[in-house]
Amino acid sequence: MEHYPKLERFEQPNVITTTADLVFNWARSRSIFPFTYGLACCAIEMLSSGFARFDIARFGWEVFRPTPRQCDLMIVAGTVNEKMAPVLKRLYDQMSEPKWVISMGACATSGGPFYDGYNVVNGVDKIVPVDVYIPGCPPRPEALFQGILELQKKIQQMSFVAPRIDDADERVATTPAEKQGRGA
Amino acid sequence: MSIAIGAVKLAIDDLGARLGAELGADLADLRVQEPDTLVARVDRRRLRAVAAQLKGLAEIAYDSCNFVAAVDHVTHLETVYHLYSYATNSYIELHVEIDRDNPVCDTICDLYPAADWHEREAWDMMGVRFDGHPDLRRILLKDDWIGHPLRKDYVDLLENHPNV
Amino acid sequence: MSDVFTSEAPDSAVRLAMERVKAAQSVSDLEGLELGTVIVNMGPQHPSTHGVLRLVVTLDGEVIRDVIPVIGYLHRCKEKLAEKRTYFQYIPIVDRTEYVAGMNCEWGYVRTVEKLAGIQPTRRAEFIRVIVAELMRIASHLVAIGTFVADLAPLGTAMAFYTFRDRERVLDLLEQVSGGRMMFNYFRFGGVRYDLPDGWVEKCREFLDYFPPQIVEYENLVNDNAIFLQRTIGKGVLTQQDVVDYAITGPNARASGVAHDLRRTRPYSVYPELDFEVCLGKHGDVYDRYQVRIDEMRESLRIIRQALAMLPQGPVQVGTLRPPYVITPPPGACYTAQENPRGEYGTYIVSDGSRYPYRLKFRDPCFVNLQVFPKLLKGVKIADAIAISGSMDLVLGGIDR
Repeated sequence: MEHYPKLERFEQPNVITTTADLVFNWARSRSIFPFTYGLACCAIEMLSSGFARFDIARFGWEVFRPTPRQCDLMIVAGTVNEKMAPVLKRLYDQMSEPKWVISMGACATSGGPFYDGYNVVNGVDKIVPVDVYIPGCPPRPEALFQGILELQKKIQQMSFVAPRIDDADERVATTPAEKQGRGA
Repeated sequence: MSIAIGAVKLAIDDLGARLGAELGADLADLRVQEPDTLVARVDRRRLRAVAAQLKGLAEIAYDSCNFVAAVDHVTHLETVYHLYSYATNSYIELHVEIDRDNPVCDTICDLYPAADWHEREAWDMMGVRFDGHPDLRRILLKDDWIGHPLRKDYVDLLENHPNV
Repeated sequence: MSDVFTSEAPDSAVRLAMERVKAAQSVSDLEGLELGTVIVNMGPQHPSTHGVLRLVVTLDGEVIRDVIPVIGYLHRCKEKLAEKRTYFQYIPIVDRTEYVAGMNCEWGYVRTVEKLAGIQPTRRAEFIRVIVAELMRIASHLVAIGTFVADLAPLGTAMAFYTFRDRERVLDLLEQVSGGRMMFNYFRFGGVRYDLPDGWVEKCREFLDYFPPQIVEYENLVNDNAIFLQRTIGKGVLTQQDVVDYAITGPNARASGVAHDLRRTRPYSVYPELDFEVCLGKHGDVYDRYQVRIDEMRESLRIIRQALAMLPQGPVQVGTLRPPYVITPPPGACYTAQENPRGEYGTYIVSDGSRYPYRLKFRDPCFVNLQVFPKLLKGVKIADAIAISGSMDLVLGGIDR
């Protein structure tokens, strides 16, 4: 859970925190601004899900913003390769907390059909922490919506009380590169 | 000026005969393949001269470069040039054999601007250096990539992968 | 330049741009760039570059003086992967080259292998291939037109909503035939995987009747809009000499008046038996490229109608029920070219007689079309540059492979 330095941290959950949780989580999960990070073929399915037939606006998620500063969700749709990886990390760092990542498609999850390519990073979770994985090549817009619903369930579990694992003060190494001390 | 495709109606065998007469021994093993393609081998040192001559032919000029590919036969490398003539609506495929230990070839990108990026890709992927190319940098891979991936003896080094 | 402020270490493309500015005193078209030159990245993440294309742009105020395109952010090593997959295993990967026009890409690859191996597809399969490829061409042009008009305005996605709505209809038809909405894995050596399901021909004919008024609707949306006309007429002119020099193919070339359509100049499959026109433009500007795509959709409808009428009965695959899963073409090299929605899509395969291709090279139309960008975008304002690059219809999957 994010640090709110101005708010007093509650040690135990009580009726105030649970009510606040309910309101904030409901607002957060129903009006996410996704980041248009379509890299490859899955981007076209992401676009299709935003248009009239598969309407992503019924979830409240239709405001795709092109700049990471204004977004809270990064949908990585497509293959990430060695040239793109630093760019991805940089854009993720530019997003402000709370932020989530959906890894859409087989390529972003694990490298996909190109897993043995020399230039392909086998999964975007080697670079950024991922909250929801959506398999498929490409996943149908309905599959993307199931991922959205899963993420909404995950956001509902956020709380003012429990600390989040990658706290801003005590930074825990999350990606393999950071664990080896190389830093991405 | 209007480009008319196929304005000069010439059977492919006659076209082959005419090219054989004009360029002579430079086009070795000239033969007809499929309905509209001529295939020939060109010596590496004569490549620029042949390309300039093909571009300068009067009405049947080969004025456009379709692609440039590099192939790794284990004993040697080979670059394949595919040139197109709008006037006769025909193609010519030139195979140039290149030494594997010193893979150098002449550039044709000042004659055919479309060959520019193809030559950069051949350098990037196969390690064929093009003499006289204005900007021979890697095009598809990172600038500090080590190795040329499409070679048959390519070994993928860990230095190329900071994200594994 | 005495003061150079950079926000990060410059890479080779930015260094090249900086060197060109430093040498500007001797280069006439970069004159007067000493003070206030800004070298900025458009991309690789950008809403209007249609994928992960990076343009290193040297700006003088709002005017672009120099563009260096940097690609490779989607390089997925397809040509190397071909050497590790059998010919049959590689078919779904070819789909993903130009992911907006998967059927056409598959057809190009399958045709090359068939030519190498000497396999002749069945006649019914040829007609089905034509129908499916033309439907894919319609879907691809709908994406191109929709995203192009969406680029012209920050929230101008109105056209995109209409085109994507109709694209869903086409994808429904393709899904009924092949099982996939965007990645099909439908072509096989010697034919296609599935025969047309019952009732598909009627549904396709319904679509052919439904679609022409929709095209009229698209034209009514933008063709009379004064702002659209101002932003597109006369911008980004590709002369015929440019088309020849840079080997530009597809609607971009036809908009400049060069009648280069491989279905006519280098006919393949059953196209010689079908009657359609090659759509040409006159000026080669952005408006003509948009108009040529609209006209080509109409011609595709015509082709599909004829092919449906001429569809013969018969098998859709050569040989027994099981398709050739492992084929070993004889040693040799072969190149075939296809008229993709974006231009000449060629596949050059060198075979050494084994189950795996020895070398596979794609001649991708967008890769070749992108080379003209430095020439095309010199001296234009940024807003026009967006319109021009949208009209050139790039798909990065094909450029980077």
